[in-house]
Amino acid sequence: MAERTTMLRVDHLRKVYESPRGDVEAIGDLSFTMGAGELVCIVGPSGCGKTTLLKCIAGLLRPSDGVVEMDGVRVTGPTPSMALVFQEYGRSLYPWLTVRSNVELPLRHKKLPRARRDRLIDESLEAVGLAHAAKSHPWQLSGGMQQRVAIARAIAYEPEILIMDEPFAAVDAQTRADLEDLVRDLHRSRGVSILFVTHDIDESVYLGERVLVLSKSPTRVEESLKIDLPDDRDQITTRALPRFTELRTHVYGHIQRAKAR
Amino acid sequence: MSAAARIKTIVANLLFAAGLPVLILVAWNALAKKPDEAVGAEKFYPDPVTVGRAFADNWIGPAFAHEVLPSLYRLGIGIVVSIVAGVAAGTVIGLLPWLRELTEPVLEFFRAIPPPALIPIVMLLLGITDTMKIAVIVSGAVWPILLNTIDGVRATDSIMTETADAFRITRWQRLWYLVLPAASPRIMTGVRTGLSVALILMVISEMFASSSGLGYRIVYFQRNFLIAESWSGIVLLGLTGVLLAAIFGFAERRILRWYHGMLEVERG
Repeated sequence: MAERTTMLRVDHLRKVYESPRGDVEAIGDLSFTMGAGELVCIVGPSGCGKTTLLKCIAGLLRPSDGVVEMDGVRVTGPTPSMALVFQEYGRSLYPWLTVRSNVELPLRHKKLPRARRDRLIDESLEAVGLAHAAKSHPWQLSGGMQQRVAIARAIAYEPEILIMDEPFAAVDAQTRADLEDLVRDLHRSRGVSILFVTHDIDESVYLGERVLVLSKSPTRVEESLKIDLPDDRDQITTRALPRFTELRTHVYGHIQRAKAR
Repeated sequence: MSAAARIKTIVANLLFAAGLPVLILVAWNALAKKPDEAVGAEKFYPDPVTVGRAFADNWIGPAFAHEVLPSLYRLGIGIVVSIVAGVAAGTVIGLLPWLRELTEPVLEFFRAIPPPALIPIVMLLLGITDTMKIAVIVSGAVWPILLNTIDGVRATDSIMTETADAFRITRWQRLWYLVLPAASPRIMTGVRTGLSVALILMVISEMFASSSGLGYRIVYFQRNFLIAESWSGIVLLGLTGVLLAAIFGFAERRILRWYHGMLEVERG
């Protein structure tokens, strides 16, 4: 794989939550870079500040120290080059809007010509396999389909990077496998960079081109592991590869050690 | 369902709904004395036919335009002003924590004042005018709407707000597509309470100082011992309340269609 230009740079990021009963250091000292077009998974023990990290990267939280840079520009607030997919799809989609309007809402302020806006919506709903449900309301759909709507909303926004915060933690195992393949497909067909946070080690190895293993709080990057599995991945054959087992065992060991420390 | 079967259900539903009112009318008719047979206090409880006749004589025809329409006009304006003012102020206060802390004690104080007590003062300030009656209606009906809007706006889901932040939704779009819809179930609860308060205050304000309107006529009939006429005014008030509830129900079903649908799904 050719070296990619650096797109996202997180440098000595630190986040301390201040409270009257003492400060809590959620993120200790965290640095990594991500190339354009990369699919990086972040995995770490539960309660290690993964969501805090994502919020700092997305500009929703101000880091206590360090910088986040996107294409060489410091991130100080939400930017149009990033789109988020939250774990709680039920609370991230607006139940009073139809599926189509939910996807449309972030595009309204982008000042796109009507025809282009419509095409973006149609294409992204098509890409997640929900063209037929455009007129439904989110609560009429299953959990997996609702998360597809959230993904469609994010890709219609045309971000350079898609940030996903444990997006499949609340759906059943079979739906989850389908959604994982959808993420791989979108990454390959659209060339969008994806930063995918999960607590599921198998998921991180199956999805990622690279896996960042985090330590427990105060969080640092424990290891950056390149996933040298073939690009064509498949739920059955890929997960049965000896290399897959090696990699997951390796990550698992790291997490165990991170927890023990 | 076939057309015949559908008509059958509709008729059955109508009969069911009409059952209790008919029963009450029959019982009332059996218990009350005709005007020429009534003795002493019995005169105060005329039979339904007499009240019905008084209703037709006093409220239908030109009297409708002269007595009923002015009342409905004040009520309508009062309700619209209450909703607009309550929702607008409630949204601003709900969105700004410092303003909420600043206004909360004052709001509690004003809300606690029974609006009828304000009538003499409002009369001095505004005279015996329509504006005075509308002011009295608003002074009572605005509170449930205002307070419910504040609570509804405050309770906007944090992840929905973060979603709007992340996608850089503009301020007005956020208001229109997030804050107001999210608060709409609470707002409608406030409006429902506001409507019944508004009806009460419409009557009371007219009883105090007026030369037209439902409240004025009911007091006029009572002072002139026109008993059946007085009762017929109360019947008309009840019907007005039913009409208000029907309009509200229609609006609520449209505005909160998503909300009721969602609750139904959640209940399984």
